[in-house]
Amino acid sequence: MLMKIEIIPADRFTIQELTELYNQTRVDYLVPMPMNADRLAEYVHDFDVDLKQSCIARDMNGQVLGLSMLGIRGDIAWITRLGVLPSTRRTGAGSELMDRMLENADLLGLTETHLEVIENNEPAYKLFQKKGFVETETYLVMRHAPRPLSESLQGHVTWLDFDSALEKLETYPEHITWINAFESMKNSPNTEGLYLELPNGDSGWLVYRNTKFTLRSTLSHLIIHTEKGDSQVVGTQLLSHLHTHFPNHDTYAENIHENDPHLTAFNTLGYFTNFARIEMRRKKK
Amino acid sequence: MAKILYIEDIQDNITFVERIIKSRGHEFLYAQNAEQGLELAITSKPDLILLDLGLPDADGQTLSVWLRGNPSISSTPIIVLTAWPEEVARQTVNAYNLNGYLCKPFSLPSLVKMIDSVLEENAHED
Repeated sequence: MLMKIEIIPADRFTIQELTELYNQTRVDYLVPMPMNADRLAEYVHDFDVDLKQSCIARDMNGQVLGLSMLGIRGDIAWITRLGVLPSTRRTGAGSELMDRMLENADLLGLTETHLEVIENNEPAYKLFQKKGFVETETYLVMRHAPRPLSESLQGHVTWLDFDSALEKLETYPEHITWINAFESMKNSPNTEGLYLELPNGDSGWLVYRNTKFTLRSTLSHLIIHTEKGDSQVVGTQLLSHLHTHFPNHDTYAENIHENDPHLTAFNTLGYFTNFARIEMRRKKK
Repeated sequence: MAKILYIEDIQDNITFVERIIKSRGHEFLYAQNAEQGLELAITSKPDLILLDLGLPDADGQTLSVWLRGNPSISSTPIIVLTAWPEEVARQTVNAYNLNGYLCKPFSLPSLVKMIDSVLEENAHED
């Protein structure tokens, strides 16, 4: 049943309050991804989320119903973390949040808005379609657990620090989704990389994040590029060098394009798909 | 009687599982994030760990790597309780060298059966 809803800026709330609300909206989600306040703060920073333009929905009694966040880079907006409490879904809160976010993006003169929706999340997909979003690409989210490597290492590797890794990433010729984009990697001090030259002259690079938790580190946000040669061979060697160098790290490869030429390399190294994300875009009307 | 550690962020799930475990005469411990879970696992050395994959600081897959990488608890059986689809849960258990999984919402008898089975298997290995 539709209810009267008020939309207010998210910057009126603390990160802790936003975290608690976000977790409550995701409690029954297809892919449960709870966060703590530190992670949400990092998310806001790394992905250029503007909390002034991000929104909270609440009813006329002040009861909070849901939230949505807006990232802004140049002329492009990115909608993320949209969620409504399970008990208040189908009240129009999600639709109102989307309308306000798109209105904010339009008023700021942004030319296009992007978002990603998890495959099979039909209610969200239909809502985005209704708001004018069109499906563009499909991306995979994959995992890799530490395991003995069967591939023999070849070639010469140069490990890249933050600046060198970004230099490589800046040359990447394909579209990258928001979370792996140059700006996202630049915003994280954990960005590193490696450059590989094979004996036959083929070459490529891999940029990733090496996130230090209190106790252990994890690898994530992998972007692979073959400069010269066979993508499967170069990709397999890049990943083999990475996992030989970090044999005990859990690895999370997000938003690898479903037709990425290095997919076979990921599979060879034992990566498996957790779920798929569909990227959707809407141009300013 | 076994000592069972449940690592899960949602209080309702903790309360549900606690009731089941205590009614079977086991000792019940819990942690609501990955780092507390790892610390409690190291200090309390449970006989079995029940692990939710969606945790607020580091997810369950990452935590399982930390648990398996710590020599004092590396062989402790781990059962995954997850809202992920069954195929993903199965692949996760295989890739991360875990001992079993139950997909939420799971039934009370299936949880009891899984716990009994893993504890029995581990007792034979000891």
